Amino acid sequence: MSNIFEMDNVTFAHHPTMPNVLDGFSIAVEEGSRTAILGANGAGKTTMFYTLAGVYKPQSGEVLFRGEPLDYSRDGLTRVRSEVAVVLQNPDEQMFCSLVEEDVAFGPLNLGIDRDEIETRIDKALRDVRMTEYRRSPLQQLSGGQRKRVAIAGALAVNPSVMIMDEPTAGLDPQASMEVLELAEKLHLQGVTVLISTHDIDLAYTWADSVNVLRNGKKVFSGTSEEFYSNQEEVHLCGLLSPSTFNMNREISALRGVPESPYPHNVSEFLSKFGKAGAGRVFCVACPEDRVCDIYDEAVREAGSGARIGVYGSDTRYGLSGKKIDYYFDGIDSCFTEAVLGRDSVLFYDPVYDPLIKERAGALKEFGSDIVLEEVR
Amino acid sequence: MTQTILEANDVCYRYSKKSGNVLDHVSLRIDKGVKTAILGANGAGKSTLFSVLNALYKPDSGEVLYHGEPLSYRKRNILRMRSEVSILFQNPNDMLFRPNVEQDVAYGPENLKLPREEIQKRVDDALFAVGMSDFRKSPVMRLSYGQRKRVTLAGVLAMHPQVLIMDEPTAGLDPQMAYEVMEIAEQLCCNGVTVIMSSHDTNLTYSWADEIHVMQNGKCVYSGTPEGFYSDKIAVYQAGLLAPSAFLMNEGLSSIGVVSRDPFPRTQTEVSAKIADNKGGRFGTLHIMEIAPDSDINALVMDHGFGDLSTGIYGMSARRAQDTSKARIDFMYNGPENCTMKCMAGQDSLVLCDPVMVESAKKSAEFINNGGYGDIKVDVIRL
Repeated sequence: MSNIFEMDNVTFAHHPTMPNVLDGFSIAVEEGSRTAILGANGAGKTTMFYTLAGVYKPQSGEVLFRGEPLDYSRDGLTRVRSEVAVVLQNPDEQMFCSLVEEDVAFGPLNLGIDRDEIETRIDKALRDVRMTEYRRSPLQQLSGGQRKRVAIAGALAVNPSVMIMDEPTAGLDPQASMEVLELAEKLHLQGVTVLISTHDIDLAYTWADSVNVLRNGKKVFSGTSEEFYSNQEEVHLCGLLSPSTFNMNREISALRGVPESPYPHNVSEFLSKFGKAGAGRVFCVACPEDRVCDIYDEAVREAGSGARIGVYGSDTRYGLSGKKIDYYFDGIDSCFTEAVLGRDSVLFYDPVYDPLIKERAGALKEFGSDIVLEEVR
Repeated sequence: MTQTILEANDVCYRYSKKSGNVLDHVSLRIDKGVKTAILGANGAGKSTLFSVLNALYKPDSGEVLYHGEPLSYRKRNILRMRSEVSILFQNPNDMLFRPNVEQDVAYGPENLKLPREEIQKRVDDALFAVGMSDFRKSPVMRLSYGQRKRVTLAGVLAMHPQVLIMDEPTAGLDPQMAYEVMEIAEQLCCNGVTVIMSSHDTNLTYSWADEIHVMQNGKCVYSGTPEGFYSDKIAVYQAGLLAPSAFLMNEGLSSIGVVSRDPFPRTQTEVSAKIADNKGGRFGTLHIMEIAPDSDINALVMDHGFGDLSTGIYGMSARRAQDTSKARIDFMYNGPENCTMKCMAGQDSLVLCDPVMVESAKKSAEFINNGGYGDIKVDVIRL
């Protein structure tokens, strides 16, 4: 895979008299990757995002987008921003319009996209963040969590090939955070490069393919989470702590005298490694949007009584509201956990997540579980 | 004897006559010394509830009782109550209004008309507690979000409140700072302060809280132990929450009989110990050494021959002493947990501990011993 972004020895200060926020900073972001950016408050994460998106121009060093140096002319920046969307930590910093739909339309309008296409994008983006019913609401009347979702919708409406999210789950309640994570997975499956900075180390540990760690304006690590967290001293110096799943795996593996690898990243993998590697069936139902409810009854009947029911993806969740569901959020991990514990379950999901389910099932097999995916059509 | 310190009795509140109730017949009781978490989705009414408990808002109907007495909203009474019940808002920018750090922290104590030296001492201690001693003279405007958040915490600590309400105290903080805030909360509890906290981090509140109150659409829909709530999947979903992973792991394993359901492990160490099932193993001794702010840690550690042990630190006075002595510490964060795990692995370890926090430092080891998951000897070395 090629790098979509590169920064080479970049130095940036807000003012010549102030210290460098980015100080000889280099990073490479692989196209299509799920990349987490970690670091203490003040390490330079947000500044790095602004520099990637061309908002800040470095005093020295180079920013490359698709191998080309960033062009800071008006046209050049418009081109970058038609592909790179940034969701800021504080949604209020990127909202200027009075109504939700106007705000979501702002990005596409600036790119000169025609009105009909924009309407379609607003619809789709608001549905993805489940804010459709607020389309004509004044932004002023929304809660912080809702404004955050509108900001994400605004970024989605640009149809970006790179999605940068600065602390996307901060201030969101747990279910809203899970929705953001689902959205990030969806973008990834659509080929979008997703960069997320977060203080939620557990979340980053479950989600990211690779982590980049920043300290005092420098990138001090890039690679797998395990490699980074294994160096406790470095973790400490970076203002971080290791994720609890990582710690528990290390501790229990040591006590049982088993290797730390493979490293579990979620509940089903953890239980598969240390509990019992069962072989329950997961009935997988990819739900076409318009027929979710008909499929539900059929699939539940096929799975037999007693099977737990999980959901993944907002379309399916919305479509099945009112039906009996056991796991409304994190359906993949929950149904896989059922399987590890030897029980059958049914997983309803938006079709786009099909490859993710196969990927997770493949990963789970490494932990000894022989779960069976039964595709229901 | 439990003693109720704050109570909401059928409280309704709305921001304007046209809008619906943000608090809708809320009744809940907060007992003295009980670590209380308020949970709920965005917009459930948590922050409004805090403002009502702190007499910032007066309920449209119902009443708030403090020490069993209905709040009087006369200015003098409110000021007295607020000198005892402090609130830490989610957004630090709502709370900072003086130009530099030490002035801002001194604001509350000055209003209490305390003597000059007492104010100085409180500002010192509070800034040390939040790791901002070096920023005393810094302009507040120059600080980052996380730093401002710490300064606001220092401001409420300097009030020496009896009740501290914290709205999302760890949101936006990096992991180490978030841990420090939780240790401060624990220290306050050990000092007899009643701490009430809201947070979206369910894992964090699960490992901390004795009791939870769940808000949903302006109503308090649950009060009690966390497990009582998380066992009801539908209720958890409707409240916009998710169960903590420690709870889910324990539920999963106990449902197939690998472990018993009780006792519920709430921390990482407790989960590890329960799952590892290390019954026949060798266990180390957990030495907990009380440390005063002026203790010479290096000398104490040498005297006891603890120089080779894995060492963790816990609590304010121990951190003060460590700051002076620059002693070697293996675990600056999660000291008791990490040291307890060392004992599980058969090694002795040492926690340098604030005297008021000894009981808290023992907790994980006691969970392990009482549950039969290990046999860790706990040795407390008094000052």
